[in-house]
Amino acid sequence: MKARSWWPLLLALGGCVTGSYEHVVVDEPVAATGLAALQPGTDTLATCLHRLGAPNRVFEYRATADGRAGMALLWSWRHAAGWGIDVSSGDDSVPGSVSFDALATELPACMLWFGPDLVLERWRAGTVGDLLPGRRRPVLLGE
Amino acid sequence: MRHLRSRCLPFLLLLPACAFGRQDVNEPIDAMTVRAFVPGQTTAREVVERLGAPTDVVQLGKRTAYRYEGSTQKSTVLFLLLINFGNQDMRSDRVWVFFDEHDVLTHCGASFGTHRTQYALPWEDVHEGEDHASRDAGRPGAAR
Repeated sequence: MKARSWWPLLLALGGCVTGSYEHVVVDEPVAATGLAALQPGTDTLATCLHRLGAPNRVFEYRATADGRAGMALLWSWRHAAGWGIDVSSGDDSVPGSVSFDALATELPACMLWFGPDLVLERWRAGTVGDLLPGRRRPVLLGE
Repeated sequence: MRHLRSRCLPFLLLLPACAFGRQDVNEPIDAMTVRAFVPGQTTAREVVERLGAPTDVVQLGKRTAYRYEGSTQKSTVLFLLLINFGNQDMRSDRVWVFFDEHDVLTHCGASFGTHRTQYALPWEDVHEGEDHASRDAGRPGAAR
């Protein structure tokens, strides 16, 4: 079979199987040097907000019975590039479209914890999944 | 003429393969309004009068924090026969204002990024410092 005769097949294949290269940017990363310069016990909420800007999320942390509470601030971003593939099928036994996305990984993030006096206690860098407070599955009453 | 046609044909074939998209969520936040907030003086009522309803409110013991957010996403896709090249650039304007138990502003954290969003191809750098500086210059109050 001549190579030229494969062209129509290859062109038709593009309707069912497509490769992709994607670059995704969501917000701007917090610089590692900026994090390394933070000083627990010295830096405050005000100095951290000034250096790092607005966080993505804010959580209550170490709340006490008298209404005092600290807070945990989370910054996250995404700056990734990678390959993926989409496969479409008309067969009922497989989903209409299957995709593999190499970018679907955990978002990088950093979290800062402040005590009730709003002085920085600690910070950590990692992924959003690692840093967020753990989720609990809902349970039925009476269990 | 024939030579010219053979050279132009690949470009003509690529023309219908480009797509651009833009998605905005909420209005960009006015940076100068946020910079005018004064911790210890500005109240929650004044913040809401100037910025409108917050996107989120978080209770922090007796304190509260309001989040204001708007984002812009610009997407570019180059469709080729068997492979596509895509780029998504999404930046946000985000402001957190923290109030004490008397609803007086204690802290304010702000990041303004919607004006930095770019249409680009996936191999282009959209975090260039010079580019950010020139875009910040056109938006008073946006630079930290």
